[in-house]
Amino acid sequence: MDIPAILASLESTAIATRIRDGLYLFPMLEAIHVFGLAMVFGTIAIIDLRLLGAASTNRSFKRMASDILKWTWVAFAITVVTGVLMFITNAAVYYNNTVFRAKMVMLALAGLNMFIFELTAGRSKHSWDKSPSAPVIGKATAVLSIAFWISIIFLGRWIGFTTTRATPVVAPADINFDDLFGGADSATPAAPPDKK
Amino acid sequence: MNQFAEWLSQTYLSTLIQTHNGWVIPTIQSIHIVGIGIVLASVFMVDLRILGWAGMDQSLRQTTNRFGPWLTGSLLALLATGVLMVIGEPVRELVTVSFWLKMVLLAVGILVAAAFQISLRKHEEKWEKEAGRSGSLKFLAIATFLIWVAIIILGRLIAYDHVWGSWSPATKA
Repeated sequence: MDIPAILASLESTAIATRIRDGLYLFPMLEAIHVFGLAMVFGTIAIIDLRLLGAASTNRSFKRMASDILKWTWVAFAITVVTGVLMFITNAAVYYNNTVFRAKMVMLALAGLNMFIFELTAGRSKHSWDKSPSAPVIGKATAVLSIAFWISIIFLGRWIGFTTTRATPVVAPADINFDDLFGGADSATPAAPPDKK
Repeated sequence: MNQFAEWLSQTYLSTLIQTHNGWVIPTIQSIHIVGIGIVLASVFMVDLRILGWAGMDQSLRQTTNRFGPWLTGSLLALLATGVLMVIGEPVRELVTVSFWLKMVLLAVGILVAAAFQISLRKHEEKWEKEAGRSGSLKFLAIATFLIWVAIIILGRLIAYDHVWGSWSPATKA
């Protein structure tokens, strides 16, 4: 498979073009991405603190996990969809960006860490469900989980400071309500907006 | 406000942040996002309890005791990092529609949370009985959550104030 060709074809898809050319789509995707990852991190942290015996120690772990983790997955799906949509607008740049790659590695490690938890402390959860904290291996995965997710947040923020957007758009003199989401060839020539 | 922002950008702390812009601003922003995660999840858990969708093995009081301190603690951390961001980039922050709209919604969000705490203390029995049942409380829980979501979205849009077109003071500067 020819990776540069794949990246180029991603960038030239209609949806990528639409997001690039629109005034509102990319900022909204980014904002929703932040909402999603805040939910992912916050809900995971609640579970991790329970595993560590630092909070919610009087509650059943299984009960908490079934209450909370379904929402974590919904939020994760939101971040993946918005993340992929941002990626395709400038696929080659992100793909070759070291910070982006580091973030993907951290995401993979966070997933692996979760898998290890499920295979170890997760398997025996009925035996410590009511204890204030998980066995040592469960605590270890909880610490790693918090560390991975915080590093993912930092790396994610750093991507925005180490890349520039493909086609910067400009502020029109007036809000164009006929073309809020781009697409139409309303090309106003433009100065790049501040993308921090 | 423009003059104030200009003045602020000349202060010692502001120039200090500006000269280390490469890593200071992204670091503060990242810490800010970590704090947002804790605030949002805390609000979310209390709202889910009011909706009757989670934490039903706990009373509403136990739920707010569990998440309330995390909410206030993170809000203080967000205030600190937020103030640093304003000092570091006053013009970019203060001369925007998104920032001020965010501040208004933030005030609303905090007032609602405080009013809820006071009401829970006064009418604890009623709250415990109604939570998870009353339709108007459910509506309130969802509305509160949406306020915090809007605060987060507006926060990100500070960087893109051109989306407000002619409404943005930044485009007139």
